[in-house]
Amino acid sequence: MISLITAGIGLLVATAILLLIRRDQLHVRHGAGWIIVALMFAGLGFAPSLVDWVARLVGIAYPPALAFVVAIAVLLIKILLMDIERARQEVQLQRLVQRVAMLEADLRQHIAPDDDLSP
Amino acid sequence: MNVNTPSALRIGVVIPALNESVSIGALVTSLRAQAKYPVLVIDDCSDDDTAIMAARAGARVLPLAMRLGAWGATQTGIRYLLREGFDLVVTLDADGQHEPTSLPALLAPVLAGSADVTIGSCTRRGSRLRLAAWMMMKTASGLRLEDLTSGFRVYNRAALVELADWRATLLDYQDVGVLLRLQAAGLRLLDVPVTMRQRRDGASRIFHSWRVVGLYMLYTLVLGLSKRATRRPGRLQAPAIAHVESEP
Repeated sequence: MISLITAGIGLLVATAILLLIRRDQLHVRHGAGWIIVALMFAGLGFAPSLVDWVARLVGIAYPPALAFVVAIAVLLIKILLMDIERARQEVQLQRLVQRVAMLEADLRQHIAPDDDLSP
Repeated sequence: MNVNTPSALRIGVVIPALNESVSIGALVTSLRAQAKYPVLVIDDCSDDDTAIMAARAGARVLPLAMRLGAWGATQTGIRYLLREGFDLVVTLDADGQHEPTSLPALLAPVLAGSADVTIGSCTRRGSRLRLAAWMMMKTASGLRLEDLTSGFRVYNRAALVELADWRATLLDYQDVGVLLRLQAAGLRLLDVPVTMRQRRDGASRIFHSWRVVGLYMLYTLVLGLSKRATRRPGRLQAPAIAHVESEP
């Protein structure tokens, strides 16, 4: 039963992501990764013995632990990538705000010049 | 101003200001009375009349459309003056705690070419909290300067180019991150003792609450450890040179 629920959640998430991309609420660049994760989730639900097989291969006695570890690692990597992207956007936004302020000062100077900064 | 400024050198003053309408006018007037350096006030999206008061006193105002913090505002001024072809930039706080009379002592080593950056240091202003923060910051970063948080500084052109870079944009404060970046670029940093007044509103923006100080110290600790120099720094070492007497 649990494997069917897992598969259902995976398919549901994949469908939701496709819908979000379709409605322009999610960038395809971000959505693509999530769809892959969701489909892997669904695949594991339909074939739970796959986890048991991999767990035996790497020597893990309790197979669900492997699934949890992999899921947590994937989420951690995704969150870290999101923070890296956020930092990049923050730099872009700050530089833009600074540039607007510089242009506004130029504009004011053009309207009412002072000679303070002239060489 | 009794500094022998080579006539070809262009010097500008950058003041980041957030809700400083009470003190900014007097500060700009005092600066302009002492030296004919252009004064740039970066209004960090103030809620009060900071920009109006600064402009009335004769400063050129750069209004930020969004609050960037003290360093973001300072970097805006640095970028602007660099673009305008300035050679040296003085930064100071808008709350009136930095004495414009200390400017000659701060400028002298940079003008003489014995330092790339001077930092107006006043360790006497340290509360126990501030001294603890300084000690932690010095240990984490490996910086051997007296006053790591002072915003009263002079930067030469090499330092300005370094600080105008986008990599310096993610910094939040004009303290350890800025100093480590300058040190990594091989620039010579120099402490210059100065006197500082009490803030007009009486409270530091950082050193007033344990929660804010805690976060600030955590960020600084991580920044200091991650950007710590792996080689010997390019800072002037000898205390006899490093501490230029400027007390009035």
